Amino acid sequence: MAKYPFLQEASDYIHETKFDFEEFDRPEMIHIINRAVEKLENELKGKVYSNLDEYEIEIMTFMVSLLLIKSIGLEEVSKKCSLFEAMRVEKFLTSDLNNERSIEKKRLLVQKIFLELFKISIDVNSTSSICKLSIPDYLQRASKMNEQEWKLINRSVKDGYVYLDTDETVRLIRNELSNLIYSRIKNMKVIEIPVSIKSRADELRDKYAGRYVYRNQFKILEYPPCIKHAMELINKGENLPHSARFMLATYMLAIGKTIEDVIDIFRNSPDYNEKVTRYQVEHLAGKKGSHTKYSVPSCDRLRSEDLCFAIKECENLINPIQFGRRKII
Amino acid sequence: MNQIQYTEENITFLRNLFRKYYFENKDFPYLYSIEKREFGYRKFDSLVVRHLSFKNMGELMAELVRNVPLDVYYSNAYYGLPSNPINEKQWEGADLIFDIDIKDLDLPCIHEHTYYICNVCGYVNSERTLCVNCKKGKTYDTSIPCKRCLTSIKKEAAKLLDFLYCDLGIKEKFVEIFFSGNAGFHFHVSDPSIRNLDSYSRANVTDYIIGNGFMCESIGVRKYRNGFVIKLPKSGIVTGWRKKIASNLGINQKSELKLKNIVEASGGYEGFRNELKKMTRKNGVHIDGQVTNDIHRVFRLPGSINGKSGLTKAKCDNLESFNPNNEACMLSDSEVYVNLKTKLKITLKNNNFRLDNALEKVPSYVAAYLICKGLASISDAQ
Repeated sequence: MAKYPFLQEASDYIHETKFDFEEFDRPEMIHIINRAVEKLENELKGKVYSNLDEYEIEIMTFMVSLLLIKSIGLEEVSKKCSLFEAMRVEKFLTSDLNNERSIEKKRLLVQKIFLELFKISIDVNSTSSICKLSIPDYLQRASKMNEQEWKLINRSVKDGYVYLDTDETVRLIRNELSNLIYSRIKNMKVIEIPVSIKSRADELRDKYAGRYVYRNQFKILEYPPCIKHAMELINKGENLPHSARFMLATYMLAIGKTIEDVIDIFRNSPDYNEKVTRYQVEHLAGKKGSHTKYSVPSCDRLRSEDLCFAIKECENLINPIQFGRRKII
Repeated sequence: MNQIQYTEENITFLRNLFRKYYFENKDFPYLYSIEKREFGYRKFDSLVVRHLSFKNMGELMAELVRNVPLDVYYSNAYYGLPSNPINEKQWEGADLIFDIDIKDLDLPCIHEHTYYICNVCGYVNSERTLCVNCKKGKTYDTSIPCKRCLTSIKKEAAKLLDFLYCDLGIKEKFVEIFFSGNAGFHFHVSDPSIRNLDSYSRANVTDYIIGNGFMCESIGVRKYRNGFVIKLPKSGIVTGWRKKIASNLGINQKSELKLKNIVEASGGYEGFRNELKKMTRKNGVHIDGQVTNDIHRVFRLPGSINGKSGLTKAKCDNLESFNPNNEACMLSDSEVYVNLKTKLKITLKNNNFRLDNALEKVPSYVAAYLICKGLASISDAQ
């Protein structure tokens, strides 16, 4: 339960102990609030918080985190923290499914997370840890993922089932879990947030709000529809697949944006990490690694990666880079 | 789209024949949840009527006898309010339908039995060109499928059924096979577990069946720097497309070295990828993906007459023995005269017709077939 504080059992625990939010203002609760702030700051910096404590502390920390995010009131913070909470769960769940020897415990865990939360029936093979789920259950999730490896054709399929290893199975529900946590924050009805939490939330807002002003000021130019679509998603604080990030970065570099400009665009991503982004953008610009400047992927490739949103003006183009040029002429 | 502009005489002849068929036919295939489907039809003047709904088969048949449309369609979707405008229909799911058409199989015989008809004067040209008769009209194609076409399409259908039953695990009781009434087959899958799939999920299934997007990595070949490495997937290569490709390559879970040699012989990662593309195209099924992905599409009504041929969309209980020229040819035998635009040979209802003259006396089902194909018109000769 410590690793999975979003489960019903955690809510039941809070309910049973008759815990009141006002109790967070008591001095002995300061270490829980500090822990929640530390966790949140980690997530806002693009890191998964891996520390694990006893289950009472984890449940309380999770609750304070939700209250902090709610109190900060920034959409981007809610989305980013939901994603990183989901990635933290993903890490624990993968490890539990891979390391747990008792098949019964493994099945119980799968039942709790997949069936109770997402209504997906999954069977785990007792020896190989290969998970089996129905094709409709798989498709409902995998079809939202743009990476080609998630296409049904690239999966092990037989008799109406898809077979995945545990890493893949857990990865499949990452977005759903992130959405679940996000909706918990969104739907949380708190009459009054304890002062001790509100004051910390105010500090965090002051510290991080500046990062998100940029996205609201970003002016979309006459980009091709594929780029526009990716920009729209990023401006909404949504997570772009690797292929879309590659397209966006190479396109922006190709039209003459500086490395700093391109990094700024990605600052809006929920899992943004400046160091990693800088390295990757510099790599694409030919400043790092093999010193090869990467080209913008062709329209053909974008079509096969489901990144193409062609309009009439795209006719006869073979690369999105031509869209802008033709406009100018 | 049927581009034929029918004359009044042809319309009267076809309407009378079609009405008789709808009036007399008591064995119309049963349609599940008819009250939740949207219906539409095309009139003989090409006008299309949509957003209709019927409570039961009796109501539907009465409408067909009353209005006698050229083509009748129904939605693969189930709606709460089927007769409302599209955004207010309340979508509740849709059958998954696959369409295999002869024209998509790229068969070598197709040119031997395709006619190019002028859309202005109706003249039958020998090739796709500006009409040699009136010099104004463009030509559209009409084809009379041959035995080889039928054999090829059945082979393709068998491949599709193998994908549906063995890979997708769909039970036979949920699959209905229909001859489209012209040059293809429709496979209706009504499995409740797949009804709610959205278009993206359906596109994923379509790509699976066509063989579109198979990655080298799925069979264990990964790009690495300027070369490649072999790392077979943990979830194995003994099922689905992985199995088909492994079998084509002659490899198994222990053949890492053999696979490495195959990739090298293909010219490395890129060469191997091109080989894989060819392999998946060959093993995939030539379905029309757009048809399957659409969750709001209307399809020809099972049992109804196809206005492009005068044949019906007949149910195939035994695909192997099914002969559309017999089992889907349901119109009257009474004889009429037709003016033919070209010489041709056809077989319908087990009868061979060699039509060499400009005026021929033929059964009504032959006349309807040729008029619908744009190759003849009804004659007032007695």
